[in-house]
Amino acid sequence: MESLTPNTEVRLMVSQCFQTLTTSTHDKDITAVLQTLNSYLDDGPASTTTSAQRDEFQRAHYTRTLHFLVSNVQADWLHSLRAAQNTELWDRLFLCGPPEQALLVLMEGIGALRPSVNLDHLITITEKFLQRGRLADLLWSHCLETAPSDSPQLRETLLGRIVALPDLTANRLRLKNKPLFLPQQYYRLLATEMLTALERTCLALKNGTDCSSIFVAQILGKVCIHGHGDVVLAVVAPQLSACTRSDMVWQRVCWKMLGNVPQRWMESVLTGLVQAVSGPDALGRIIGNLVLTNKKAQFVITHKLLLLQYKYKTQVLRIILGYLAADRERRPLLMQVLRSVSQAWANPSAVKHTPLEQQLYVSKALLLSVSLLSDSELQGLRSELLQCMLGGMQSHLDSNVVQIRRVGMVVGECLSTRMNINGTKLKFEYDHDEETRELLAVMTPVDSSDEPEPGPVKEVDSPQRTQNKSSPFKAEPQSPQNDPDSELDSDDELTPYDMSGDREMNQASPPCYLRDCLETLMSSEDSVRVELSLKVAESLVRKNVFATREISVQLTKVLLHMEDKYNITGFLSLRQATMVALTASDCVPVTQYLTTEFYSLNYSLRQRLDMLEVLALAAQELSKPLAERRDSPVCAADSTDLMTGDNPLHWRQVVDKRIQSKTKRRSKGSTQPSAKAAPNRFAPVAGHFFFPLLRNYDKPQMTFDLLGGDHLVLGRMIHTLGLFMHLAVNAPIAAQMGRALLDFVWAVRYHTDQVVRRGVLFAVCCVFLSMPSQNMLTDLSDQLFETRTWLADVAEGDPDADCRSLAVQSLVLLDKSLKKQLQDPQALGPES
Amino acid sequence: MSHPAPSPIYTLRGAGGPLNTLHFSCLAGDTPLLFSGSGHGVVHIWNLNSRRAERNLEGHSGSSVIWVNTLQSTGALLSQGRDMQVCQWDLREGRSEVVDSVWTGSVGFCQCSLLESSSGSSLLAFAGQQTEEIKIIDLPSKKPVCTLVPDAKVGMVMCIKLWQPDSGPGPLLLAGYEDGSLLLWDVTQRCKLSEVKAHPEPIMCLTFDTKRLRGISASSEKKLSSWILDRQNNLQLQDLSVTLVNPGVSQLCVREDGKLLASAGWDHRVRVFGWKKLRPLAVLQYHSDMVLSVAFSDHQDPRQRLLAAGSKDQRISLWSIYSEGANSS
Repeated sequence: MESLTPNTEVRLMVSQCFQTLTTSTHDKDITAVLQTLNSYLDDGPASTTTSAQRDEFQRAHYTRTLHFLVSNVQADWLHSLRAAQNTELWDRLFLCGPPEQALLVLMEGIGALRPSVNLDHLITITEKFLQRGRLADLLWSHCLETAPSDSPQLRETLLGRIVALPDLTANRLRLKNKPLFLPQQYYRLLATEMLTALERTCLALKNGTDCSSIFVAQILGKVCIHGHGDVVLAVVAPQLSACTRSDMVWQRVCWKMLGNVPQRWMESVLTGLVQAVSGPDALGRIIGNLVLTNKKAQFVITHKLLLLQYKYKTQVLRIILGYLAADRERRPLLMQVLRSVSQAWANPSAVKHTPLEQQLYVSKALLLSVSLLSDSELQGLRSELLQCMLGGMQSHLDSNVVQIRRVGMVVGECLSTRMNINGTKLKFEYDHDEETRELLAVMTPVDSSDEPEPGPVKEVDSPQRTQNKSSPFKAEPQSPQNDPDSELDSDDELTPYDMSGDREMNQASPPCYLRDCLETLMSSEDSVRVELSLKVAESLVRKNVFATREISVQLTKVLLHMEDKYNITGFLSLRQATMVALTASDCVPVTQYLTTEFYSLNYSLRQRLDMLEVLALAAQELSKPLAERRDSPVCAADSTDLMTGDNPLHWRQVVDKRIQSKTKRRSKGSTQPSAKAAPNRFAPVAGHFFFPLLRNYDKPQMTFDLLGGDHLVLGRMIHTLGLFMHLAVNAPIAAQMGRALLDFVWAVRYHTDQVVRRGVLFAVCCVFLSMPSQNMLTDLSDQLFETRTWLADVAEGDPDADCRSLAVQSLVLLDKSLKKQLQDPQALGPES
Repeated sequence: MSHPAPSPIYTLRGAGGPLNTLHFSCLAGDTPLLFSGSGHGVVHIWNLNSRRAERNLEGHSGSSVIWVNTLQSTGALLSQGRDMQVCQWDLREGRSEVVDSVWTGSVGFCQCSLLESSSGSSLLAFAGQQTEEIKIIDLPSKKPVCTLVPDAKVGMVMCIKLWQPDSGPGPLLLAGYEDGSLLLWDVTQRCKLSEVKAHPEPIMCLTFDTKRLRGISASSEKKLSSWILDRQNNLQLQDLSVTLVNPGVSQLCVREDGKLLASAGWDHRVRVFGWKKLRPLAVLQYHSDMVLSVAFSDHQDPRQRLLAAGSKDQRISLWSIYSEGANSS
């Protein structure tokens, strides 16, 4: 026996044990065997085995033993063990051996076993394994490189098992999953275990022991690429940021670890990290100069996060650019970033073809980097920036989208202030909204003292809180001072009368006849009379339709050419309302006039847009049923009725109330009569609105090129046509209109301007809404297929979100209409 | 819902001219009377029970009457006309004759101000012959008391108010001038106590609440400005100010109980405000021309109190507004 090597000895011993376990049924034997096996794991002074034996057992036989135990778990002897013995002997074998082998066996067992008591047993052991911090031991053993030099496959498996543990258990246990295995909890545990391992590493390094952080880095990378980076980094990043604040060893360990993250996982780690850290300084402490040493990291930080992705918050941009600006060695990168960002911002094609959100994001990045660079550095980039500013602003200001124009203005203003071109600054007039405010806020540096130490924070807080508390006390004595005898001094006992009749006095009286009105508007130089005429014009037009018909076109012409010479309040709306009234009351001649003028020479864009608006509003008015005048006698009585005493209730109300209270109702039906059907006044004249506008669109004039530069008008026109189409629903002419509109729209469906595209899609929606479904299949059968493909294409690929949603909507409408028709092919005539 | 604006309870027609000034005399026992001064030089005495003109007094030879008032002690009537005369009328026992008159020499529109003292004598302040000059005389005796002329150039006197403060020996006088400044004079010391620039335009009218030591003035613009007098007799403008819809106010009047302020607007409307906070309460629309005068009646019973407005359209409108008393509101 003495001559036997420890290896053979151990092997013999283990096989004996197995033998006993399979054959024996005696309690004592089994306990003895388990104790023997346990003794190979003890390394205390009381241990009966030599260290060589222990090493050999752990190297070669441990996994085998565990496998054996797991596969024999339902053997009789296990049941005969008492609970205490069970935990002591059986579980101990799993919890005290080399952790990675135990974990692998456990996970394999969980994967292989069907739901049973045995599975439950393994789950409990796994839970204990995690709770006892064995994961940290596992990581630590890899840090020390004491773990057996494993094959890449083994390591890959181990990584996979550790990272995917929640998935594996969830797949096996389904609804009976333990809370500890849920991702939220497990990854938080994993994060703390990683921190423990790193802490031990730091301690070991301080004591002069060599350590490696490769395994932890790999775990981190794998977790991030699996999409759980946010949970892990939410725990890890603040801790690392706090630890690296003063400790150089920690910093070294962090830098080393991030350097060791495999290239393919680097991106997900970095994106997670920039979102998890609290400020640029923290990022700098954790990743060091990683951007300079690691190509992948450089690409991610300086290119991908800034120019290719745009989902991050402004804070992330601040962190990234602040990180680049914080170190002398990284500043050249910041200048490079500024160069590329400014090119991206100024690129006219990007302005047209990228989504608005991305443009905002890039603008923020541009402003941030400009604000971070010093004046001397900006001098170096001056010519490029100037070029970017001029070109970029031009393409932004050319855009039809208000937000893009506004972004152009804000960025232009900020750049010109920052660059200090001969002391001149750009200044635009624009309305501030959330976006511009956010952009402007980007230029003001945030307090760099990010995340102060957790301790001091509370102390800083407390005086503020006491101040807040004391302020109301200070305020209180003041309030009585403001009005010392407010009770005595109030006028509240006197209730005011209705003062709505208190209006400004007019010096002149308004004209009573529409012809006078026209005269004044045409030739008068008296501002008061012009204003009065304009104010009464709409009511005069509506009051006397016959008089209106005589001069409708003339008045329309005058109004169309009228300018706001006297700065009349509400000029535009008054003018528009009058023109709408004219169009509505004398439809055919006025629409004829307006649609012809739309394509003629020497009108400004504004005037052409006005024409479109007037036509659209008039069509809307015509398509609405006439306003009912049922309650007008009541109103009339109301105004003439004298107030008697102080009872404000109208006598009719009182009478009505009495009648209501005396009337018994059998059923609570609707007391209001249902709306009366009225003919759609728009239907007979829809063609007059619609077809003349389609006639001349492709004949460019000197001053007006619809298919060229004037795409704003084109977009509005198509939108208006769509509106006509929508309002002409159920009209006999709708089918013809729909066909014509689809034909027209086909030519401009891939227009570069999103306003036009939106108009086109709106028009298509309207066609599908308004066209009777039976006509759709018969008249448009050849086009429908192509239209569908085009819509699907837009719905997927258009950079503008509105266009995408409109396309989806059109597809839904089309499908609905087609389905209806195909299900009921015999239906004749419109359903409604 | 707020009440619709009220209508006048009755109107008095037949004055035959613009009504520059109104004065109530509704003390208990007597027939309630309303005196009005017209642009054609006639003082009408209206009986408010019969709602008719009782008597017409013509004593200013056709020149516009700009101010009427009664002496409580003797029941005599004072009227001021543009013929530079202030006449004293004896109206007792059906008489209607001028018993006395004072030559003022003023060509302006400044209304006189009367201060009756308990002893039976009273003080009358009026604008003098010089445009900036204010004269004060003792009434039955017609002895001049003093003449007040400001040192600084402030333009013509536009409106004055004479009153006796509770504390302090002598009467004080408030005067509004053409350049918009408001001066406080001590009549016994004959010196200026305080000055404030209340308006950029000439002050058209002012009224002063002697109990609360608070006044308000108006000009040809849209703004009314209110001011207070502190213990040291300093005038101070208050933040509390009112902006009207249409510019121009001819007269302001505070009701006896200090609750209401009424303004006679050039825009044909009478506006009623709460006096304490200057909260707009009502806009009274009836007249078809500028309202020239407003007055609150001096009825003993608060429920009978009326508001009268005289206009250029030759009518007087009478309104019962916020006169329910505290119990019914």
